[in-house]
Order: sequence, then C-alpha cells, then structure tokens
Amino acid sequence: MSETAGASGRAAVRRGLGSRLLHLLATQLELRMLLVIIVVMAVLSLISPYFLTPKNLLNVMDQSVIAGMVALGQTLVILIGGIDLSVGSLIGVSAVALGLVFPKFGVPLGIVACLATGTALGLVNGVIISAGKVAPFVVTLGMMSVGRSMAYVLSGASSIGNIPDSLGSLTEDSLFGIPIDFMCLIVAYAIAWYFLTFAKGGRTLYAIGSNVEAARIAGLSINLWSIAAYVIAGLMSAVAAVFLTSKVLSIDPIGGAGAELNSIAAVVIGGASLFGGRGSIIGTLGGVFIMVFISNGLNLLNVSPYWQGTAIGSIIIAAVLIERLLSGGRSGA
Amino acid sequence: MALLSLSEIGKRFGATVALAGASFTLEAGEVHALVGANGAGKSTLSRVVSGHIQPDSGTISLDGRPVRFAGAREAIRAGIVMVTQETSLAPDLSVLENIMLPRLGMPGRLDWRAMRRDAERLIARLGAEAGVAVGARVRDLAIGQRQIVEILKALALNSRLIIFDEPTAPLSPHETKLLFGIIRTLAAGGHGLVFVSHRLEEIFALSNRVTVLREGRVVAGAVPTRELTQGELIRLMVGRELTDIYARAGKTARPPHGAPVLSVRHLFAPPRVRDVSFTVYAGEILGLAGLVGAGRSETLETIFGLRPARGGSIELDGQSFSAASPRQAIRAGLGLIPEDRRTQGTVPDFSVRENLLLAHLGAHHGPGLAYRRRDSAVRRLLSLLGLPEQRLLDANLLTFSGGMQQKVILARWLVLSPRLLLLDEPTRGVDIATRSSIYALLRHIAAEGVACVVVSSDFEEVIGLADRIVVLSDGVDVTSIPSDMIDIEKLGMFAAPRSSAERTHTVLELLAERHGGMAFWISIEGGRVFCFDRVGTASLADPGFAGGSFPEIAETRIPEALARRAAGFVSEAESGLTTLLIPVPSESGHDFGLIGLTLARPPTHLDAEALAESVTHQLEPEAEREAA
Repeated sequence: MSETAGASGRAAVRRGLGSRLLHLLATQLELRMLLVIIVVMAVLSLISPYFLTPKNLLNVMDQSVIAGMVALGQTLVILIGGIDLSVGSLIGVSAVALGLVFPKFGVPLGIVACLATGTALGLVNGVIISAGKVAPFVVTLGMMSVGRSMAYVLSGASSIGNIPDSLGSLTEDSLFGIPIDFMCLIVAYAIAWYFLTFAKGGRTLYAIGSNVEAARIAGLSINLWSIAAYVIAGLMSAVAAVFLTSKVLSIDPIGGAGAELNSIAAVVIGGASLFGGRGSIIGTLGGVFIMVFISNGLNLLNVSPYWQGTAIGSIIIAAVLIERLLSGGRSGA
Repeated sequence: MALLSLSEIGKRFGATVALAGASFTLEAGEVHALVGANGAGKSTLSRVVSGHIQPDSGTISLDGRPVRFAGAREAIRAGIVMVTQETSLAPDLSVLENIMLPRLGMPGRLDWRAMRRDAERLIARLGAEAGVAVGARVRDLAIGQRQIVEILKALALNSRLIIFDEPTAPLSPHETKLLFGIIRTLAAGGHGLVFVSHRLEEIFALSNRVTVLREGRVVAGAVPTRELTQGELIRLMVGRELTDIYARAGKTARPPHGAPVLSVRHLFAPPRVRDVSFTVYAGEILGLAGLVGAGRSETLETIFGLRPARGGSIELDGQSFSAASPRQAIRAGLGLIPEDRRTQGTVPDFSVRENLLLAHLGAHHGPGLAYRRRDSAVRRLLSLLGLPEQRLLDANLLTFSGGMQQKVILARWLVLSPRLLLLDEPTRGVDIATRSSIYALLRHIAAEGVACVVVSSDFEEVIGLADRIVVLSDGVDVTSIPSDMIDIEKLGMFAAPRSSAERTHTVLELLAERHGGMAFWISIEGGRVFCFDRVGTASLADPGFAGGSFPEIAETRIPEALARRAAGFVSEAESGLTTLLIPVPSESGHDFGLIGLTLARPPTHLDAEALAESVTHQLEPEAEREAA
C-alpha cells in the first residue's frame, strides 16, 4: 500500500512535473501523511543515531498500540461529525471491569467483561446522542465524568495488581520479530479501512458527516450507523484497556486519562475534518505515528517531557492549518 | 437623486449564478417592492445592499457617491439596515437595551435616562400603535413586536434605508396591518424602504414601485405599482420567453391514463398539510401548484416518510401504504428529489459516482456496496442525461454546475427504476438549457410508465410540464385540473391563500348570508366557468359548481346567466334560479373574474344596481388602502 503510493510519487517526479506531484499531494491525503512521516523519520534519524535502531523502533510500535486503538474509534465518530470525549475514562472503567472479573472467572471472561463494558457505555453514548438528539460534546463529556467516577467506585479507588502472565504475554510476545499487539493494531486498521471503503456502513458514516439530510432522503440508516460509531469507539477503548493492562501489569482507575485528547489529536493530524465527512483511517494511523515519533524523538534528545505538550499542540494546529489551506477550495459552497 | 442605486450587480456562488447584472434604484420616501420567484435573486440582491455579501461585479452608490461595503457593519454605519424574519435581537436583553445596543458598546458611563428618553421618542415617531414597553424582555414579545423593536433599533442608528425581507411571513393579519402602518409612516418621513415579498396583495397594498427579478436578472425595473395588474406581475415573475422547452409533443398527444399509482386521501400532517387528496396515474406528470407555504413540499415529504402523517390514507397500487422512513418508501419504488439541492441533495465529500449511487446504497440490502451491479444502469443514464463520461465519475460533484448536479440527483433515483418520482422544485437554480433537458427527461421517464409528481412555484413551468395540476392553498387541495384548461392568471386565483383571498371571501359570506342564496367567485373562459370560491348553505340556490370545479357553462344550473353576463338579475327558464353577476373591479380593467349571487327565487325588493355598487365598493383596492 505505502509502497505503491511512494512509487507513483516517484514516477511523478521523474516526469519532471512538479505541479503533478503537488496535485497528487493536494488530493491524496494518505500520500501527504506518508511524506510527513518520512520527513519526520529522516529528521529524527539524523539528529539521533539511536532512533532507527530495532530496539527503538520496537519501542515506537509498542507506544502506538494503545493510542492507535482509541484513535480508530475516534475516527469513526469524527467522520459522522461527532466527537467522543469519554474514550479515556471508558479505558479506565473497562480495565476495572477486567480487574474485577479475572480473579474469579479467569482472564478470558475478564476480557469479555472488559469489552462488554466499553461497548455498553458506547451504546449509551450513541443512543442518547442519536435518539435523544443531544449534542455529542455534552453527552460524552457527561460520560467522561460518569466513567471515571464508576472506575473509582468499582475499584475502591485503588489499583488492582496480580495480573496473570497469560495477559502480560499479549504485549510481550512477538511473531517474526513483530510484536503481537502491534500486529493486532495493523489488523484492526486494515479491517477499518476495508469497512470504510467497501462496506455500506462505512460509506454511510461518510455520508452522514458530509450531508445527513441527503443521506436520510436516500434511505441510508442514519440512526443505526450513528450509534454504531459510538459503540465501536467504546469497544476500541476497551480493547485499549486490555493492552494497557497487559503492558503495565496493573489496573489503575485513572488509566487512560488524556486518551480522549490524544485520539482527537491523531485524527485531526490525520487530516479529518471535525465537521465530519472528510478524513481517512490511514490518515489517522499516520497521525498516531507522527505523535509517537515526536514524543519518542523528544525523549531521545533528552528534551524535558514538559515540552512535549507544546510540540504536539503546535503540530495539531499546523496540521489543521495545512489541511484548511489545501482543501479550502473544495469546501467552498 | 436616487437615495440608493445599484448597477449591473453580479454574484456567483460556486457554479451557481445568483445575480447576473441586476440594477436597482431607490428614492427617499418610497416603498420599493422587490419581487421574484424562489431563487430569482431577490434575497441575494437585498443582502448585497445590506452589506452581508459582496458582489462580484457592479457598482453601488448611495446619495450619488459610490460605496463598497466590506460587511453589514459598514452598511449599518452608512444608514442601511435589513429587517428579516429571524430578527437579530438579543432575546435575553430588554427592549431598551436592544434598541440602544450600539451605545452599550461605547466607552464611558451609560446614561440610562437619556437612552430611555431617546427610545420613547423613537417609539412616538412610529405612532401610538407601535407601543412596545421598553422594559420588556425581548424573549417575551410576539414576533410582530420583535420586528418593531428591530425597526426601532434601525432608527436609533439613524438609518435612512431599511430593507424588509419577507417580514410578514410569520405575522398575523393584525400584526401585518400594524407593520404596514409603520412602513407607511417611515416612507412619509423620508426613509427609503425596500420590501421583499412574494405576497402579491401586500405588494399592491404597500409599494409605490416594483422591481421584478427572474433568474438573477431584472425583468421589470422600478415600475410604478399602479400600472401593473396582479396577472401581469405573476407573468413577469414566472413567465419565460421560451415556451417550447417543455418537450411536449402537443397537448393533445397526452398519453392515456394508466392505472392509478398513488392515491392520497385527506392527508393530514400539521401544521402545513391540512387536507390533501389527489391521485397520480402511471405515465402521468402531475403538477402540485401553489404558493410558498401552501404545504406542497410537506405533502411530498409526508408521502416519502420524512414526516409523520397524523391522518388520512395513502394507497400505492391499490394497497394501503405508509412509509415510516425514506428507506421504506424507496423500497416500495418511490423517489424524492428534494427542494434544496445543497442541504438535502448533494453529498459534498462524495464523488459524482457515489452521489449517483447514494439511493442505491440506501435501497441495497447486503453489507457491501454492490456498485458494480448498477454499472450498466449508470452507463445508460450517463448517455441519457448527457452527463460526464465514465472517467469524470470520480471528480467531486461540487465542481459541476447547478444544472449538472441536479441531473446527477435525478439520476440517483433513476438508477433504481422507480415507479413514482416526487420532484420538489426540480429546476430551481438550473439554467434554461439544462432545464429543457430535465423536462425532456421527465417526459421520457413518464412515457416509460413512471408516475411523476412535480412541485413548482413557477406557474408557467407547472402548466407547461404537467398533464394535470392539483392546486394547494393553505394545506388544502382546491382543484384538480388538466393543464391545458388553465392559464397562469386562473392558477394564481386558485392558489391564492385563503387568508389573502379573505376580502373576497368575506364579501361572499356577507352576500350569501344577507340574501339567503349562494355567493361565488368565478372566471368564465372558453365556455367554461372556473369557480375559485363558493359560500352559502342554501342548497336550493346551488349554481351547479363549487370552489375548485370548472364545468362547462351548459353543465351548470345557471347557464343563461353565465352565457349572458347581463348587468341585472337573470332568471333561468328551467330551474327558476336567479343570478346576479358583478365584475370584480380592477384599476387597469384587467379580468379578475366575477362575483356572483344565485338565489332560489327571484328577489322581491332587491336593487341589482345598488347591490353591484356596494359589492364593487367593498372590493375596491383603494378601500383597503384607506382602511389600513
């Protein structure tokens, strides 16, 4: 996928038509993301010889799993013109569900409980937003607070330890040198890409975000798919909770804090419009990598972690500005 | 010197031309009506004047000096204010604070006492009737009062030019009268007033001059209102020179009726749809005519499952049918081309191909896209519609003209081979050339047996395109008539909202009640009588036609009276009914039809001449101007 995109880019250069390349860049979001990622990687590898070492790359993959899982769900929500502020606290509460269930019923049932919790709370979000016609910002802001509070109540406000090795191995093991959790991430994104490109539901999400009235008149299932977006966002938060638990081998009710903003940032850097209808799942994955690279690079350069917020924030604003300049002509009515 | 003059104003929105060189002048002390059908550009023009949008070309001059407004704020500073339906007031502030809002933004201490004094002086200028309490919260005011506050706000800014954009749409008759009084006071005080409206009777009651826009061009510039008749004004608004664009192979070549496809009985979907019945047959194009607000779009939306019906019944192919959602309607073989292409039709982020296949996606059962399945249908439609070639299918829809976009939306439904197409203003914002190809296309699909229901505000279009016309007025169907039996004037009289035909209706009521017969408003042409309204309970005095019917004279119960149209009472030899016909007065001698009174027995002590005179007097346009 990325190779063909790069090849066609090179072909355009060979033809000596700079304008053609520019046109490709202006129209192909994924190509643009790829270019940015290559530039970021090149700069970081020049600055730090340690950056391109296998160990650091494994580290980067590792860091991108949790952010990536949450951003996947967030992408679907933002595509319909919504927003989900509750994904972070849903990670916390579904992790706590996992922690309460596995000691008695074992890890598999624990994971089921974890995924069920995230899905159910996502469903609540979706139903209230879609059927109750309440602004998504308000509903998910409320759910953010409810989820966090539930996590504290259910866990007795303390962290849960003694996570069995079987769960820990999820983020330890690797296949052909690639961590299993990272493979899960890539599989999840591949499925999401296929869904958004070739399934009725995926195209419906785009149509809802682009012009909900036209979609309704054309007979698309507006309510079903609007709710589904929030359900998937909840489910992906729970998936992230499983990987988080596996990685830190402890369950903290406050786990996942900040994931809502990071996921929104990844989606926005990935070129999606907060008004809905425009964006891509590959773009989001690129957004996730860019954010992870930047924080990883700043770590390697021994920059104070306090500066990371400034770096990420600047990138978000720059990304939106660039998208606006590039797509300004298209969005003009 | 003119207070305001616009010359050769042009404005485009994307590929749509909103104004194509429109000119307009306004004198101080006049009420200048700006009229036109939907999409004619009257709103765009008034928003250019008020600085809300900037024209692409052309010049504006105020007091003879060229001006250029970068925004509404600059126009306000120059003394130009627009009053719209949705007022720009702050609902939680008091009337006084709203009127003096610009002063609240000035530095220094507020002198509340002076502000109150100034506000009260402004209210006094509008006349005692304007009375609004300066302390009231705007949220608690009725819409009519809010408009008055808006006007006061404009006056507080020393505005000399006020634009009223459809100000009466949400107002009650009483509030409208009040507003008109205020507008006249302002005109008398030397203000220049622009009055945008589609209510003809208001234009005649209020304005001094009229400018008519059509498709972004001025078709009649600053014509004194009294030189126009209602019929002429309608013709100017909707008429077109191209008459053979309707692709009709002669009116007589109309295909014979197929089986009824859709039958609507007493449809009730408040607030707009009150009692609508009609039937449309296979292969027929049925026009749904009426004025804005008559409930036409709402009728289509109710049939299509976009709004709930609260009463009545719908039959599709003889089977009871009710769609809870568009999806059900689509799967039953219906299609809807909505009124507003931008907000209800196009999906801006989708390619032409996906826009074309959007309804297919809605109708399709499986989880995939199955776009391939429609490949051959898409190819066929592309050539039928003269749409972009296959290779352009991946382009963005918004890069094409309005007409092309509309063709794609049409094709979106044709892909599904529907049995019934509902089209709401299908040619709005579409250039003449594309229009004519859309008409040809509709003819073509009707010939294939598809039933079409077309809503249009363009009377000429309805008459030219449809085989039969159902006229809606205030949410009720008033007549169903073959299109070759009606013209724009009569259509206008049928479509007149009950509320605006109120004066005639009141006269009829008085006549029927006082003399114990039946009173009616008709027009006679080509041996037929067209009845627009009929009042009275005396069934013995039934003239043989009712409101909305259009029988031949010989079929009525008063053929002699209708044939002779004499000045006095005419008795029928056969039935003994006695009828008096009185021409409806009009300043220009234009035909506004006849008012009639039919009595069961010859009157004993009724002077025909005196009665005619009193009816004429009650109907005089001047009578209302004086009363108001």
